[in-house]
Amino acid sequence: MDNIKLRQICFYFACMMPAAKLLIYPATLAYDTKNDLLLAAGLNFAAQVLVLGAVLWLSARTDRTFFALLEGAFGRLCARIVYCLCAAFFLFSALFPMLEQRVFVTQVLYENVPSVLVYTPFFAVSFFACLQGLRTLGRAADVAMPLFAVSFVALILLAAPHADFGALLPVGRTGAGIFRGALFGVHRFADCLYPLFFLGHFRREKKTAGKVLAAFAAGALAVLVFLAVFYGIFEDIAVLRQNSIAHISKYTTSFTSLGRIDFLFIFALTVVQIFCLCVPVQLCVHCLRTALPRVHPLFFAAAANGALLTAVLLLNDTFLEVQQLFTQKLWAVFLVFAYLLPLAALPLCAAKKNKKREDGDG
Amino acid sequence: MFAAKLHKLGDVKETSKQRFGSELQANLHAVKEVLAAEDVLVHEFFAGDGTRCAAVYADGITDKAALGELVILPLTRRHAPADARQVCACLCFPETRLAPDAETAAGEVLAGNPALFVDGVDGAVICGTKLVAARAVTEPQTSVTVKGPREGFVEDIKTNMGLIRKRIKTPSLRFEVLEAGRQSHTAVCIAYIEGIADKTVIQSVRGRIAAIDIDNVPDSSYISKFLMPRPHSLFKQVGTTEKPDILCAKIAEGRVAVLSDGSPIALTLPYMLEEDFQSSQDYFVSPYRATVSRLLRLFAVLLSVFLPAFYVAAQLFKLRLLPFALLLTISGGIQGIPLSPGLEMFFLLIVLEILIEASVRMPKYVALALSVIGALVLGDTAVKAGLVSSPAIIIVALSGISAYTVPDLAGTVSVVRIVYILVAGSLGPYGILLLTALLLYYLIGSDGYGVPLLAPFAPLIRRDLRDALYKANIRDLDKRPAVLGSRNQTRLRTRKNKENAHG
Repeated sequence: MDNIKLRQICFYFACMMPAAKLLIYPATLAYDTKNDLLLAAGLNFAAQVLVLGAVLWLSARTDRTFFALLEGAFGRLCARIVYCLCAAFFLFSALFPMLEQRVFVTQVLYENVPSVLVYTPFFAVSFFACLQGLRTLGRAADVAMPLFAVSFVALILLAAPHADFGALLPVGRTGAGIFRGALFGVHRFADCLYPLFFLGHFRREKKTAGKVLAAFAAGALAVLVFLAVFYGIFEDIAVLRQNSIAHISKYTTSFTSLGRIDFLFIFALTVVQIFCLCVPVQLCVHCLRTALPRVHPLFFAAAANGALLTAVLLLNDTFLEVQQLFTQKLWAVFLVFAYLLPLAALPLCAAKKNKKREDGDG
Repeated sequence: MFAAKLHKLGDVKETSKQRFGSELQANLHAVKEVLAAEDVLVHEFFAGDGTRCAAVYADGITDKAALGELVILPLTRRHAPADARQVCACLCFPETRLAPDAETAAGEVLAGNPALFVDGVDGAVICGTKLVAARAVTEPQTSVTVKGPREGFVEDIKTNMGLIRKRIKTPSLRFEVLEAGRQSHTAVCIAYIEGIADKTVIQSVRGRIAAIDIDNVPDSSYISKFLMPRPHSLFKQVGTTEKPDILCAKIAEGRVAVLSDGSPIALTLPYMLEEDFQSSQDYFVSPYRATVSRLLRLFAVLLSVFLPAFYVAAQLFKLRLLPFALLLTISGGIQGIPLSPGLEMFFLLIVLEILIEASVRMPKYVALALSVIGALVLGDTAVKAGLVSSPAIIIVALSGISAYTVPDLAGTVSVVRIVYILVAGSLGPYGILLLTALLLYYLIGSDGYGVPLLAPFAPLIRRDLRDALYKANIRDLDKRPAVLGSRNQTRLRTRKNKENAHG
């Protein structure tokens, strides 16, 4: 069975989820919300907690996969359609973070602008990851945990002495901007959907919900701490500081005899981000494999990565336009899939029970 | 000519399943028909009552003194026995068995055990007077320790089995002897402790060895290729050791060992990558010292792989990783070098590999000259001539030395290092990170005999971390590694787990 451990899900939320939110997100959030960026991010996290709670509630009542639940309630065809739609969504949701990382790579890891081809080997890694299944996804979280924990703590310790946390006050000055920031950030908060596809693939333990929610809270706290330090350092010019992860610690390290040793931690976090970027593509292939088991997974992995590679190459010079599209126009798509779909899945458990009862009566 | 003789020696006819009768000449004729080799000799003699007897043996691999004193002499001093069992009883030699047909007898003779025939007695009596030309049990050169046992395995499988038995005196220790190699008929032994080793692993190892259909097995490394779950992998998947103390510790943890006749290297399964970062000495020094040593080994391996790659990437892509003062020093050193950084590093690594390869194969008395040529001519003169830069030589030397802190991984590290250089030279720092992610994905997805290669890190097994990079006190290592799936998990009986056992 293609299994993932509960601990690995927890590590995902505590370590991989925050890693993907440390590039351009802080700067864009600062643009919409100014010093209230913590409130906007907090709203997003609160909404995610609700969805995550719903999925965990569902997992406590069934040991079947989401596909089996859909199949039981609406039939195989419907389950296949939903899974194919979800696969398309995962593929779509993977695009923007990839473009974001491409910008990060070209701006931070190279001093002279490299060819777009430098980024393309990423898809070979992603292709390989897609062939490995959920088990590897979980083990990647195991590897990511120490990498993230050490690097993140080191970067924060290097950066925090330069932060003026007074810049975050007064709270609530932005008003409606907080909600706008939260709404425009929705596309970065699709992680809560993932556990729905882990249903039936992990074994429940004591206090499962508590552990996952605690891990999620730890991940959310890491993002909030980062946002606070980031805004505390850059204040009004925070909007201009894209790729924030590469900037927050440089004032400490640049003037030491050791040089920019923070790059070592940035590299480690980049590896975690690579793992993180592969997750939606892996889930896309997982959905397609489940929906269409007769087709060889190699084909799905090649198709998914080929599509993303084409999109990245085509959208090479249009990052700002894509960013605007995702933040300001497509938030509704993310609301439907990442938030409403898990909530809509809740009655499936009840439907299954009713069906059992009917079968029993019959 | 010698090879031709050997070939002849092994040329046992397939159609020789001919049962022996009681007539001596007919039996000898049957054996000589199967073994036409010139080094298979027949010594005919008479028992005390004048009955004709004969010993068939292979020259050079039979202990002729033991054959004469313990087998032939007792027979010449008494009446000829009536049957094969009585023959066995009258010999002064404990290791005897019966061979009912010519093929079995021929196999034993070729293994060095002579076949004894007595006129009027059915079958042949095989005497285990094999001449073992084994070297002494000495400390293996590949795993030298300052503290701890210094014994090492030798090429004789029976000596090796004895070295294991000497350390594990439980009746649960099992040795299963199989055979591999159509021509070589090499004895291969599976060793494990029943009740501790996982049965599925034992069955799998047994099945894989039985399925080997190769003509010759000169060394255990041949066997290891057939035991690998991913035969084309760059990474090692079977543990190896030359030291009985390490092997016994691994068997006691629940692993299965495989010994091969003619090889001083024992194999262990299942294998995890972290095993190579451990040394037998870690268990004989303080746990703090052992932990520091293990972390140093990990750091050295990472340095060996990443340092040349990041050096190349830093030069080509102007990475601001280096402090300004160091950057100035390096930039002064690399001025005027005709090769590109990637090519320079690649060239120096190839030179390093050539030096290592030559120093292993070269006679020892030439080694001094080699080191002079390697260090002075290739190093110093190349820098003076402006062909390569001093920082590059320092980095390659550091990388080369670091790789040998974990000797079992040195081969893999050297290949991976070259791949990293190529990637760093073409794709830069992001290429290095992508290759790292790819290797990690590959490693975390590699399982052998149900055990992940990267355990206990991925998947994380908290209990097993106590003897991974961190070495806990022996009192805390009360359980066997959970990942090996042993039914008997208790290694150390403490008061606490004794109370648990009693309810």
